[in-house]
Amino acid sequence: MKIEGTQKISAARERVFEALTDPGVLQKCIPGCEQMEKTGDNQYSAKLSAGVGPVKGVFTATISLADLRRPEHYRLVVEGKGQPGFVKGSGELNLIEDGGGTSIQYSGDINVGGLLASVGQRMIQGAANMMAGKFFSALENETAAGQKAS
Amino acid sequence: MIPADFDYVVAKSLDEAVSLLAKHKDDAKLLAGGHSLLPAMKLRLMQPKVLIDISRIKDLSYIREEGGQIRIGAATTHFQIETSDLLRRACPLLPETATNLGDMQVRNKGTIGGSVAHADPAADWPAAVIALNAEIVAVGPKGERAIKSDDFFVDMLTTALQPGEVVKEIRFVAPKGHVGQAYMKVRHPASGFAVVGIAVTVSVDGGKCSSCGVGVTGVSPKPYRAKGVEGALKGAALDAKTLGAAASHAADGAQLNSDLFASGEYRKHLAQVYTRRALETAAGRAK
Repeated sequence: MKIEGTQKISAARERVFEALTDPGVLQKCIPGCEQMEKTGDNQYSAKLSAGVGPVKGVFTATISLADLRRPEHYRLVVEGKGQPGFVKGSGELNLIEDGGGTSIQYSGDINVGGLLASVGQRMIQGAANMMAGKFFSALENETAAGQKAS
Repeated sequence: MIPADFDYVVAKSLDEAVSLLAKHKDDAKLLAGGHSLLPAMKLRLMQPKVLIDISRIKDLSYIREEGGQIRIGAATTHFQIETSDLLRRACPLLPETATNLGDMQVRNKGTIGGSVAHADPAADWPAAVIALNAEIVAVGPKGERAIKSDDFFVDMLTTALQPGEVVKEIRFVAPKGHVGQAYMKVRHPASGFAVVGIAVTVSVDGGKCSSCGVGVTGVSPKPYRAKGVEGALKGAALDAKTLGAAASHAADGAQLNSDLFASGEYRKHLAQVYTRRALETAAGRAK
């Protein structure tokens, strides 16, 4: 399944890049992320309770960041396993200066398997879009709050 | 396929259901027909600690005409709606929607209140509820309130219901005069859910459309009112050209669902074709 889009964030590009590579910020912004730990250089492990509304599965995931070109680009690789199935995905993020803010262009490919795929297939795209929407609105708040504090 | 452990309590009245929900809060889920909840529990995508069974509350299962409105209790089953003489006469859209819903087992156990509260993006009822401009009445610790169908469906599996609220009834004013209605869907061959579902009601006065409602399900993460279609119909004579042109707006502005079975583009196409067919059928019935 492909997921792609562009999201405008009203903070400067450096600030957005920093937030997108900060496990503390990511934990706050990723919907249902209960725990996020650094396990190595640009490697993290996370516990996610991912889903939509009351329908949720608990996943443990490894997240790694690659091809980092501060402050404009990185690649994100996620592998998650949980009771209802597995999720594997990778995506590219490009940050483009846009007026005073930043446009984040994202595109990725997500594979979902196991029970989740056989039963939840028809809702996965919608769920992914909803979670992306929540992530970016949280990121907007987070980067705005950071700017006021600094 | 074995759910996690849970406790089970039977609510004998709506008040008791509300107070049980207030007591157990997020640990609890209401059990009506259980045809969405139980599969999700078996897959452990939902793990409520307590199930509050509201399916045995007699006062929640009714279909009646009262004060110019038709009122349907939340725990009324799809089968009861399908076979209601009152609805077949006053609002055949609902029995037709029920006939197209799930299979016999689902229709015997599943309820209209459970379906709208769950807000599956491919459920059938939301299209009809929106087409009829119905209100969803919810009861919570702070009392009762009516939510317009246009405001009720917020997103996929997400409604305007607040924690602690229970759906009590669906109510609407049945369209009067020369009315034609239709529900048409593309049925997913495995699940029976609507790949696309179109609910239409049109009222005709002096050869022209005096009012209409068009609800769409399955196409987008949430069901929606096809405003472009309604706008093109109001005040117009319902000839084939008008209906075809109106139907082309069926997916205007909608975020399109996409899955292995049907891409977003294909869904959009189906929405337009099935809206045209539903409009033609409804217009034919209005004479």
